[in-house]
Order: sequence, then structure tokens, then C-alpha cells
Amino acid sequence: MSNFLFYTVSGVALGAVYAIAASGLVVTYTTTGIFNFAHGAIGMFCAVTYWQLRVDWGVPTWLAIIIVVGAVAPALGIFLEIAIMRGLEGTSEITKLVIPVAVLLALNGLATWIWFDDPTQVKSVDPFFGSLSTVSLFGQHLLWHNVIGVFVAIAVAITLRIVLYRTQLGVTMRAVVDDRSLVRLNGGRPDRAAMAGWAIGAMAAAIAGILISPLISLQVLALTLLVVDAYAAAIFGRLRSLPLTFAGAIVLGLLKSYWDWFSAGGTKWPFLQNFRNAVPAVLLFVVLLALPQDRLRGAVVSRTRESFHVPTVRQAVAWGVALIAGIAMLQAIVAGPDIITLEHGMALGVMGLSLVLLTGYAGEVNLALFSFAGIATIAAWQFDVGPGGNALTTSLSVPGLAIATLICALVGGLVALPALRLRGLYLGLATFAFAIFVLNEVLLQSDQLTFHQLGLKFHLDLFTGGTLTVPRPNWFGVDFHASERSYLMLLCVVFVLLGIGLIALRRSAYGRALAAMKDSPAACATLGLNVTRLKLSVFMLSAAMAGLGGVLYSAQLRTVSGANDYDVFLSLGLFMLVVIGGVGYVSGAFLAGVFGGISFAVLGSLFDKLAHDYASFEPLFHFGGKFSTLLGSALAGIFLGRNPTGVAQQIMDGFRPLARARTAVGIWIAAEVALWVLSWQGPLSHWWFAIITFVSVFVVPRIIMMRYPDRFAAELGRPAPSDDDVPLELVGLARPFTEADRELFDAALSIAASTEPV
Amino acid sequence: MDPVLEVHGITVRFGGNVAVDGVSARVEPGRVTGLIGPNGAGKTTLFNVVTGLLTPSAGRVVLGGRDVTRQPPFKRARGGLARTFQRLELFTSLSVRDNIRVAGEIRNRWARPRIDAVAEADRVIELLGLGALADRGVSEIPTGMARRVELGRSLMTQPKVLLLDEPASGQDEQETDEFAELLVRLAANGTAVFLVEHDVHLVMATCAYIYVLDFGVLIAEGAPDDIRSNQAVLDAYLGESLT
Repeated sequence: MSNFLFYTVSGVALGAVYAIAASGLVVTYTTTGIFNFAHGAIGMFCAVTYWQLRVDWGVPTWLAIIIVVGAVAPALGIFLEIAIMRGLEGTSEITKLVIPVAVLLALNGLATWIWFDDPTQVKSVDPFFGSLSTVSLFGQHLLWHNVIGVFVAIAVAITLRIVLYRTQLGVTMRAVVDDRSLVRLNGGRPDRAAMAGWAIGAMAAAIAGILISPLISLQVLALTLLVVDAYAAAIFGRLRSLPLTFAGAIVLGLLKSYWDWFSAGGTKWPFLQNFRNAVPAVLLFVVLLALPQDRLRGAVVSRTRESFHVPTVRQAVAWGVALIAGIAMLQAIVAGPDIITLEHGMALGVMGLSLVLLTGYAGEVNLALFSFAGIATIAAWQFDVGPGGNALTTSLSVPGLAIATLICALVGGLVALPALRLRGLYLGLATFAFAIFVLNEVLLQSDQLTFHQLGLKFHLDLFTGGTLTVPRPNWFGVDFHASERSYLMLLCVVFVLLGIGLIALRRSAYGRALAAMKDSPAACATLGLNVTRLKLSVFMLSAAMAGLGGVLYSAQLRTVSGANDYDVFLSLGLFMLVVIGGVGYVSGAFLAGVFGGISFAVLGSLFDKLAHDYASFEPLFHFGGKFSTLLGSALAGIFLGRNPTGVAQQIMDGFRPLARARTAVGIWIAAEVALWVLSWQGPLSHWWFAIITFVSVFVVPRIIMMRYPDRFAAELGRPAPSDDDVPLELVGLARPFTEADRELFDAALSIAASTEPV
Repeated sequence: MDPVLEVHGITVRFGGNVAVDGVSARVEPGRVTGLIGPNGAGKTTLFNVVTGLLTPSAGRVVLGGRDVTRQPPFKRARGGLARTFQRLELFTSLSVRDNIRVAGEIRNRWARPRIDAVAEADRVIELLGLGALADRGVSEIPTGMARRVELGRSLMTQPKVLLLDEPASGQDEQETDEFAELLVRLAANGTAVFLVEHDVHLVMATCAYIYVLDFGVLIAEGAPDDIRSNQAVLDAYLGESLT
């Protein structure tokens, strides 16, 4: 009995922390419509700042708390709102998901850079009044820290209630939930409400981060994933109701605490050793199953219109051949280690294709790509190598790959099923929760799984010993074990074939149905389309593609670590990069591979090389290297992620006018080929080839246009965006009132032109 | 004639607000049935209930003699129900032609015999006079034409009941007249047309029977001539001319 009371009280204490974190998430979501994926990261950042003040600099605890919760957190929240989130109003649901993800990755990169550069150095914070300061309750000793947590949660609940219901600001905040534009028309200040929403959200995250960091370790991953516990709780209140969110948080805290009790003597089931961390994910799925069906979404009136130009299959084939030729030429001049970098990028590109199908064509989200990659890898490994087998002497077989792909499709179906009836965000949350589940129950499974308790002689190797050696294929008489260059070409061919397949799919009846569903599920349903089934099918297909790409990705790495190579943040990062690249385009996935696998890695190693070569500038180059590896892609996400059509289309738009100067373009290509020959034959290093090519991409089009000014008048003159785009009734609001407008109105109203200034 | 669509005592509450209050109506094949009323009367809400996008607080929807109140929208569509939307719900990433074609392709997923979606789309484009715009993006065309695209899309499913929500708004007088002819022709071919429209002229010219809603309550029903002289209707429209 006393045990029961003890674990109940501990569970309530833990739930209190989740309640604080979750309430912040709900406040931000309801006032701004943005689900703050970076909520946990903000909590992490504030908790580490608190550590810096209290432990490293010796600031008194009370002062450290006031500084972090009262100043750092609200400042961070307001900064994020003004600098980043404000611009997201009226953008697509995908953009609203990508930008917070980019912020999460940026905060993680920053924290890693500042505080966790040295992984051997462990940071910890003591509980309030020390770890020996306990209070006796029901004959059990409870940490004062936990008791304080409960009272803080109650205080937060009361404060939120007063702020939201008794203050002018709170009334505005609640009104913003209902109709933002109406608030503005009524003279309210929705931007102030949004700032308050972010400030309160960040403060709640900070309080939760400070309270929880003594209980779990002070690590980027553990604290950032607080967001998962928070949203599992917030789902109870459908991301709206604060009282239900608090209830959900307490349930979650109790479940985790009872699990501790149940598994206190070690579990009989070795595979449940990390289950504690998977509890919120499981709870989330249960709650999703119980949520009522959402109303079908109609067409979203979006400020930013996504319109993806779909190439013909013939064009796709032409581009595919060009890509294979280009990569073949590139690999001929590139040195060994850089081949591996290219391979890595290409493998990420193949995985990214699954998002082009799912997110680009169907408008749905999968934040667990690498989890599918991990599952597929295990399946292929079990089939082709098996326990006791030697991955170095066996090859990846087509049936092995097919089974891995099929398993991913089935698992994908199971993951997506509970969330498909609901809005897109819930599918995103469900997949992320799934990623957490897979991380704890599959990827971190370093013991062989036995089922002796069930009388089964069966056992399963997941990541026994923490790593797996993945076989490579031996197809068409080519041993891809032996040659990195041939494996690079294999990845390239797979990418091109899948890419052409995707474009053919998009141009089929199925692809048009996906586009229709993405644009207006409500209209589709009234045409007799079973939207849920179509979503399920496309999610399964995309999960299968992620699995296929995932096995090839693992085989590229040769030896994979369950804990590191399928990290949940990799999934978030790749999702972000594909959106930056252009999620509606096959080339967007290619660019994601280039960004994620190649560019920042190359920049990082370039800076390292420079720092080594020029020791006097070492700090500067070191800074550059850290900046590009830790923050580069996240900052690219923050700045480029809101462009709904992506970089791929911008690049294509930039080159399209050059069709008017085919001869010049031909000369350029011939020059490139000549450079390539020089590099191939030795005189020119491949670095120089890459640098010249890179620069020429930006410079040569400009030179060509200046050479033929008459043909490129429009591009060179760069007329300001035409004012004709602004509807007449918005003139004076959307842009200043000009003399030309006055003349137009005068003429339309038959008023004689007046000479007085407006 | 037996009605193909009936609603019985439909009530919809949004919080404490009653948007539709105990409305019953019947829509028969072979004629155009009108649903009119001032803004906010609950017309679109009733359409949403009929198509299943909204669950009523009370009441039943009967389609082709079967109670479909608990059915999801796609099943009702498969039962022969199609609609257009007052707030356009076009597939903005597809061209005019593909908007119409995809509706035929979706129909082919659930109905037999299959139709040739390309040829049928061409026929519908011709019928609605959308030929010149067929390869344009739907976000580039005027609202009046966009409404025709929605109509074309719903025709592709070969519906028994067609719910049109303000299809003529955004069309000029001549276009509206053509449109009226088209509706009458559709009805003559056996389709039951249920029309929400503000253009009283169009309603009077096409409808054989009219329901009038005001503040969610059915205040009148009958043939156009009865409605024109109904005092309650005149009051609801604040004396606007109904001729």
C-alpha cells in the first residue's frame, strides 16, 4: 500500500511538470495556430541556461530562476514570434510545421555548440535544496523538489486561468483563437496576443525544463523530447482545453511512475527496458484512437499559393539520364573519401523521395522516415544475414529488400491508421511519437530478444551490441561491396527510376486524386472518394519507399548504430530539407540530399582544413566549421522553409529564360565538359572543378543575359513587381496610393484631373 | 413522384446558437427545387448536413429511400448525391480540365461501368462552355467560370441529386440565363436539382417548388407563385421585390 501511495505521489509530481510544459504548448498553439515543435528545445535551452547560471557561475538559485523564467524565456519566445513565427500567418500547414522544426534543430545545434561540445563532460543540476532534502509522506520520503513542482503546477494553472479570463490581454488571446482577422477588425491586437502566447509558452517550457532536469539527465535529446510528453498530454484536451491537458499530464505522470514501480525489480522482458520512455508515445496512440472524427477540411485559403509544375514523363526521363551522366562524370574525378560523401547525399535523396510522394503530392506528413529506415534495415538483415551470419560475405538480395519494403508498408499503415481520420498535424504528431517508440523499443535494443517466457525458442537480433553490419547488393554481376563508385551509381540509378516512377504516378488517375485530396478533402468526399483509404494507401506506399531508401542508406554506411544513425532528429532534418528543396519536386528530394549529405558536411570539412592550414585564423575557421555543421541546415530551414515551392523551382525559374540563348548555353556546357576533361586527366584538382562550376552557375547566366540584352530585357531590367496585382479595393492598404492610381480613379469616376496634391 | 432526397426535422446547433431548426424538405427527380432565404438563414448549413460534412443535432436525411444520416460523405456521394460549394472548393493545383477529369476518375473508383473520364470531361467542358479555359489553372479564372467548373465536376459523378450552392453568383445576366436553361435541361433529364440561390430571377425561372428559410426556420414552401405573394417571405426579405 505504501508503495502504491509513493508511486502515486511521484507520478503526480512528474505529471505536474508535464502539465506545465503541456499548458505552454496549448497556449502557444491556440493563440497562434502554430504547433511549437521546438517547445521541448526551448525548455532544454532554458534549463541549460539555468545550469550555466546556477552551477557554472554560482548565481543563487532564486536569482537564476528569476533570470531564466522571468527574462531569458519570455525574451526568447518574443524573439521567435517577431523574427520568425509572425510571418507564418496564412502559410500552409506544412510550412507551419517545418519552421518550428527548423527552430528546434537550430536550438539543439546552438546548445550543442555552446554547452555539449565535449560529450564526455556530464552536466547535472541538483534538485532544489539538494537531493537529501526530503519530506515524509505516508512513511515515504519525497524530494522537496517534487513537492515544489506540484505547487508550481497549481500556481501555473491558477495564473493561466486569471490571465486568460480576467485580463484584457487574456480576452484578446482567447478571441484570437476564434477568429484572428475579426479581432483585428474590432481593434484588438492579435500580434500582441501572439507575442504573449509565445512568451507564456516559452516561460512554461523553461519552468518545466528547470523542474525536470534534475530528474532526468541534462542532455539535449532527453530535454528536447519533453515536447513529446507535453503533446501526449495536450492531445487529451485536443490541443485546446487546459483543464483536460492538466488531467492528461497527470495520467501520463502516473503511468510512467507505475511503470517504474512495476519494473523496479527489472522486467522479465528485456525488450521492455526502455519502455518508460515510450509510454507517452503509446498513450498518444491510445488517445488518438479515442478522438472523434474531425470535420473534413475544405480548401485552405492560403496567402502563399503552392503550385508545383508537374513535368512530363518524357522530361523526367531526359533529366534522369542527364543526372546519371552528370554523377558518372563527377565520380570519375572525385577522390575516394568524397565519393562516400556523395553516396551519403544520394542515399538521403532516395529516402527524401518518399516525402515528395507523401507531403508534396498528398499533403500529409511523416516525421519518422529514419525509423522506417531502421525497421527496414533490420528486416533485410534478418532475411539476408540473420543471427550468426556474416554480412561481409553475404549480399543484400532483392527478396530481402522486397520484404523490408513490405514490412515498412504494413507498419506504416498501422502507424497512420489512428491519425488519418484527423487533421494533418495529428498524423505528424503520431509519426513523431512512433519515431520515439521505435527509438526506445527497436533501435536502442542492444540485447538479443528472447521469448523463452512464452515457451518460444525464437530469438531476434535488433541492434544486438548496438550496431549492425549491413550487406550491400551484388546485382547485375557488380559487387557493390567492393566499389564505392559503383554503389554511388547504383543509388543514382535507383533515385532516377523512383523519381520517374513518382512523376508517372503523379500524372496518373491516382496522382490526380492525391492532388485533389490535398487541395480539398471535403470536395473529394462529396465526389465519392474515401479520403481515409486514399491517405492510408499513400502513407503505406511512402513508408515502403522510405524503407527501400532506408536499406540502401544503411548499406551505404555499411555499419550502422541503432542509437545514432536513425536518430529522430535526422527524420526531422530530412523532412525540413526536402521542404526547403521543394517538396513537390523529385529534384527537391535531390537537393535535400545535396544539402543534408553533402553541402554542410563539405563546408564543415573545408573550414576544418582551413583551420588546420592557417593556424592564426584557427578560431575564425573553427567558428565557421561549427556554424555550418551545427546550425547551417537549421538556419537554411528557418529562412528558406517558408518558400512553399522550394529552392528547386527557384533554380529552374532562374534558368528557364536561358532557353532563349541556346548557343551560349551550349558553349557553357562545352566549357564545363572541357574543365571536366582537364580534371579527369589530372591537371585540374576536382576541388577547383567544383568551385568553378559552383560559381559559374551563378555568374554565367548573368553574363549570357548581358551579352544578349535585347533578348533578356525583362530579366535585366528587373521591373518592380507589377502593381496591377493589387486589387483596386486594397490600393492604399497593400501598397501606397500613387499618382497613377489617382489618375485611374479620376478617369473611372469621370472626375477632371485636379492639380492639387493628394 | 417519390422524392429522391428527404430531410426530416433537421436541427443544427452551434453552441447555444440554432442554425437550422427542425427543417423538413423533399427533393423530387425531374425538377429544380429551390431553397432561398436571407444571408445566414441556414441554407449552406442544411446542404452540409445533407452531404454529411456536418452532423445534425437532430433529424434524418433520407437518400433514395435509405436513411443516410449516419453515413460519411463519400458513401452518400456513392448513393447519387453531388454538390457544389458556395465558398469554392476547387482543386487549385489542377487545371480546369483535370478538375473535371479527376471527378470522373474518382467515380471510376466506385462505380461500374467505368466511364471514359477524358472523353466525358471533354463533353462536360463543351456543355458548360468552358472550352476556352480548359487548360488554365482554376485559380486564374473568374469566379463565375469557377462555379461552372464545380458544377462540371459534380456532373462527372452522374448524380441523381445535385445540390447547387449559389451557382450563379459571379455570372453576368446572359451567363445566368444560359445557366437557367442548363438547369432546366438537367432536371428534364431526370436529375433532381436542389438549388440555393440569391438571384431570385433565376430561382423563379427554374424552380418548380421552393422552400424559404429564415433564421434557420422554414417559413414558407410552395410553387413560385405562392412564394411570391407569401407575406412571411416578403417580411423576411424586408419588402425586396420578389419578381
